[in-house]
Amino acid sequence: MIQSAIAGLVSGGAYAALGVCVVVMQRMVGVLNFAQAAIGAFGAFVVFVLYGDGIAYAPAALAGTATAAGIAALLGLAMSTWFSEAGPRVRSTVAVAMLITLLASGFRAFGDSPRTVPEVLPGVTFTVAGVVITAASVAAITGSAAIALALWLFLSRTRTGVRLRALSERPTSAELLGIPARRLTVGVWAATGAVSALAILVIAPSRGGDFLSLSMLIVPALAAALIGLFRSLGATVAGGIGIGLLEGLATQSASIGPYRHALPLLVILAILLWSQRSQVWDAAQ
Amino acid sequence: MRLNRPSLALAVLAVLAVAGAAFLLSSFWLFLATSAAISAIVARSVGIVTGQAGMISLCQLSFAAVGAWVVARFNLHGVPVPFLLQILIGGLAALPFGILIGLPALRLRGINLAVVTLGFAVAADIYLSRKSFPGIDTLTSVRPPAPLDEPRAYFLLCWGAFVLVSILLAVAGRSRVGSAWLAVRHSERATGAMGLSVARTKLTAFAVSAFVAGLSGGLLAGQVGLLTPQNFAPLGSLVTFAVAVMVGAQYAEGAALAGVLTAFLPELLRRLSLPLDVADFVFGLGAVDVLRRGHGGIAAQGRDKLERRRLKGALALAGARPAGRLPPPSAGRGVDAAPASLVGARLVRASPGGRPVLAVRGLTVRFGEVVALDAVDLTVEPGIVSALIGPNGAGKSTLVDAVTGFIPRYEGSIMVDGVPLDGLPVHRRVRSGVRRTFQQDRTVPNLTVGQYVRLAAGHHLPAAEVAEALEFLDCPAADYPISAVDVGSRRLVEVAGALAARPKVLLLDEPAAGLAEAESSLLARRIADVPGRFGCAVLLIEHDMAHVQAASSVVTVLDFGQVIADGAPRDVLEHRTVVAAYLGEEVAV
Repeated sequence: MIQSAIAGLVSGGAYAALGVCVVVMQRMVGVLNFAQAAIGAFGAFVVFVLYGDGIAYAPAALAGTATAAGIAALLGLAMSTWFSEAGPRVRSTVAVAMLITLLASGFRAFGDSPRTVPEVLPGVTFTVAGVVITAASVAAITGSAAIALALWLFLSRTRTGVRLRALSERPTSAELLGIPARRLTVGVWAATGAVSALAILVIAPSRGGDFLSLSMLIVPALAAALIGLFRSLGATVAGGIGIGLLEGLATQSASIGPYRHALPLLVILAILLWSQRSQVWDAAQ
Repeated sequence: MRLNRPSLALAVLAVLAVAGAAFLLSSFWLFLATSAAISAIVARSVGIVTGQAGMISLCQLSFAAVGAWVVARFNLHGVPVPFLLQILIGGLAALPFGILIGLPALRLRGINLAVVTLGFAVAADIYLSRKSFPGIDTLTSVRPPAPLDEPRAYFLLCWGAFVLVSILLAVAGRSRVGSAWLAVRHSERATGAMGLSVARTKLTAFAVSAFVAGLSGGLLAGQVGLLTPQNFAPLGSLVTFAVAVMVGAQYAEGAALAGVLTAFLPELLRRLSLPLDVADFVFGLGAVDVLRRGHGGIAAQGRDKLERRRLKGALALAGARPAGRLPPPSAGRGVDAAPASLVGARLVRASPGGRPVLAVRGLTVRFGEVVALDAVDLTVEPGIVSALIGPNGAGKSTLVDAVTGFIPRYEGSIMVDGVPLDGLPVHRRVRSGVRRTFQQDRTVPNLTVGQYVRLAAGHHLPAAEVAEALEFLDCPAADYPISAVDVGSRRLVEVAGALAARPKVLLLDEPAAGLAEAESSLLARRIADVPGRFGCAVLLIEHDMAHVQAASSVVTVLDFGQVIADGAPRDVLEHRTVVAAYLGEEVAV
């Protein structure tokens, strides 16, 4: 029981990190980025290929995250060049189109067949009260919490963070104040791209190296982001870990277990129905 | 968009070509052409949700899977239901899924809906990969009965289904339901202000779309016989969505193009010995490119071009004034020349005992620490035009928002014709007789002027009444597309629509903003005529004092959320505190 819960925590940590990226993108850049996990998967696959070619894990991981950041930056550049004036619906549609393009590129670059996935921290385990805990799970949970905390501090305490918030809330005013909109936007894309690659690297050993299914991890990430109502980073982390935990516990049940990765849908439905009890009118619409 | 003779001829030609193709194509190409028809139906279903109602749906193939599952199930158990009825039942079975998935939209926000649909696509895929389709374990394939077991007949069935669906949806598109979809896509606020439930409008779009997608699933079951979950994978739904955006699948020709591309592009790539992923790549980039240009999908661009040509022709023929501008009063069409057909026929609605038609009592609205309205009392008597004035930020628009329900949280009470509105959602308030217009243009550009007025009226409206409301304000003719009308006139069309609804009270939020002085003064006189002509009281918000004096008989002044004066226009406008509020304290003292 506890064992499977802890296995779920690894997934949970990755969902949380991806979810935080989704929230940051939505808040700072105004894009519901359906391609978030695919960007990470692209980076992760670069790592798998390099590692398979005999390069050590650490430099391979560095190259992979850099690739993800680079791809994200390119997408961000495209988004800010062509869609800076577009509404959220158009931007989200563009994100879906980007996801498809990334998937096609991924299949082309890495082939359709699954890859062998190297463990992040292979074989390092320790036992607490009879429960075996892998170092990977500890890294996943502390890592995602640390990412959320760091981002929160960055956004609330640093000058760049304040500028970013200004940019997201009043883009035109912010630009008139001389805030370099495009540079910051592309920066956010790149940073979340790098974090996504790390998150996918953490979860890949338990999911297998299938490009499509790793890219579809956007669904639990979106569920986590919804738990944070696309605002709160803390709630997103808690939500992501919660979903992972739930999935882990579901493996215990023979009847629910096989369908555990469909659980995010129930979470999404429940959250939406609960959080939108009252009518809200969008000023712009 | 009206179907003119050349495009009708083209459509007939296309149908004949398809029918002829049935006898010319080899079985391989016939199979692909059948797939194209089925994909076209799915694309059209995306067109409803995305192209018409402006939401993102990423699970259309999952809806199709429901339809396919039902047909496979019928087939496995040999249930004696005619095959075509099975397909129809498959579509109906997908409908509740559409409603369930659209349910979170009941409380608005379109983007969240995209999240739900993707979640559903993945969940459905997990379920199907585990359970698969009925009949897969025993390799019982779906066999349509004779004569449909013949590929040519099945091909004609699928294209026939597509044509039928397209025609029915085109008819629906011109009805109130279709107009409402376009309205909700353009502006949720405007939709609510027309007395339409935003939630129900979105939900209908989702339900109809799921039904259509479900039909396509049933047809696919009959085509391929043995279904696999890969037929309906989430990636397929994503690609379907991108293709639909690229082609403009809310139009039949766009959906047909989508079907042809989806079915034949991979085959073309195979023949060129190119990898098949390239197709998805093309669709992804194609969608981005279409969005970047911002003129809609391929079919929408084509229709725009035709429409512009038609308009140009019409204008050249008429040699007339450019689309809808109020002519200056000197043109001899002043107030007196206004069409008088119904003057006198509709007298002021009698309110028993002189009951105010709008009564606002102790209305307080807070935005955090800011008190936007502070215990405001306001009464609009029947049969007159009241004006509400005040400097910028005084709370005038906030009052309109609160009365019409766009700000649900307030203290105090609001009654229209003696009926309390508190706690009601926007569309219910509107239906109980209070209408509003907006400061910014919120007409629906994809509708014609006449369609807009009919939609706003909220009930069936004879052409004469549409024309009457339009003529009253010198609006462009009913068959003009709103997208071809200038912004000033669009705001008049909005007022005409609100008047056509025959409300008890009409709240006009700066209707003259953006009009030239001559037009503004004409509008003022028309507004003064509204109670006599349309039997409704008016609350006019305006900055232009000449306009206020010309149009209204009572003025209320608001400053910093409080009523500082009210009474006859002349008295109020000379009031010390009013002058001070407008010109600043120093001047008055």
